[in-house]
Amino acid sequence: MDGVPTQTLPDARVEEEEKTDVADPWVTIVWNDPVNLMSYVTYVFESYFGHPRAKAEKLMKQVHEQGRAVVSSGSLEAMEVDVQAMHGFGLWATLQRSGQ
Amino acid sequence: MRGFKRRRGMYAARLDVDEREVVAALVADVAELLGGGRLESRDAVPVGDGNPRMRIDALPPPSDPAVRRLLPDASRDDPEIAAEFRRLTEDDLRAGKIARLARLWEALTTPAEGWRADSFVVAPDEARDVAAAITDLRLVLAERLGVRTDEQAERLYDTLLDSPQAEVADEAAETLDPAARRYLVAVYGALSWLQESLVEVLLHDLRAAGRPGEP
Repeated sequence: MDGVPTQTLPDARVEEEEKTDVADPWVTIVWNDPVNLMSYVTYVFESYFGHPRAKAEKLMKQVHEQGRAVVSSGSLEAMEVDVQAMHGFGLWATLQRSGQ
Repeated sequence: MRGFKRRRGMYAARLDVDEREVVAALVADVAELLGGGRLESRDAVPVGDGNPRMRIDALPPPSDPAVRRLLPDASRDDPEIAAEFRRLTEDDLRAGKIARLARLWEALTTPAEGWRADSFVVAPDEARDVAAAITDLRLVLAERLGVRTDEQAERLYDTLLDSPQAEVADEAAETLDPAARRYLVAVYGALSWLQESLVEVLLHDLRAAGRPGEP
């Protein structure tokens, strides 16, 4: 039996994703605040970013427990759109260069 | 007050006349804070003069901390980024928030035809804006109440219990007399509860649809 190569595909995809992340020069950060409901923050992450429930809830918990979470990454222009949207929802978001 | 439920294809809550007046007055106050004038005394939404223009000069951050929380800095450590973001986006954000509040005010002050008199009915495609507008109301109340931390938010309702000596959050909140403070806390609590019920149906429907909403 020599069906070895079938296992290489998923790994390649992971590498591709990591490469994209590193190449994204800017990130959007959402900060914890004492007002926004956990359910509302989850709703914003699910409806705006299109995250599945588990990922939206994980990000929400990260914001709540660690004080902040990176919610998106990309070009400065794309992050400005995301930050403006978050401010529209009443979440406090900031943008910064990735890796800072 | 009864929370939102899905009824006849709409999201319907119940607010009696007094509750409706309290919320509508707060909606009008927040719109005024944002520079939208008084919602009660105008025909259209006069944000600027209706002619979009490019902002060339820097826009200073709002001096009222409550307004600054609604239109926050987009950077905590780089004033240049924050200023540039504000120049590019603040007019739009402000106008969007005011327009949303104006629609909420309209909905609160206009009876929904074919529904009980105390029904507060929101169409599903407006519900996200209503939830976001309620967030703005709560953010302003929390700022006026001096709520800056999760601990202060948790202790907030002590004011409503039988504890007149309940710790005051900070100096900003000390300027409120106890009766005013209790009133604002009660409104904040009711709005939190109302928003929670709305978000619950929104999340339920979003997940039931099995696809993300439009950005």
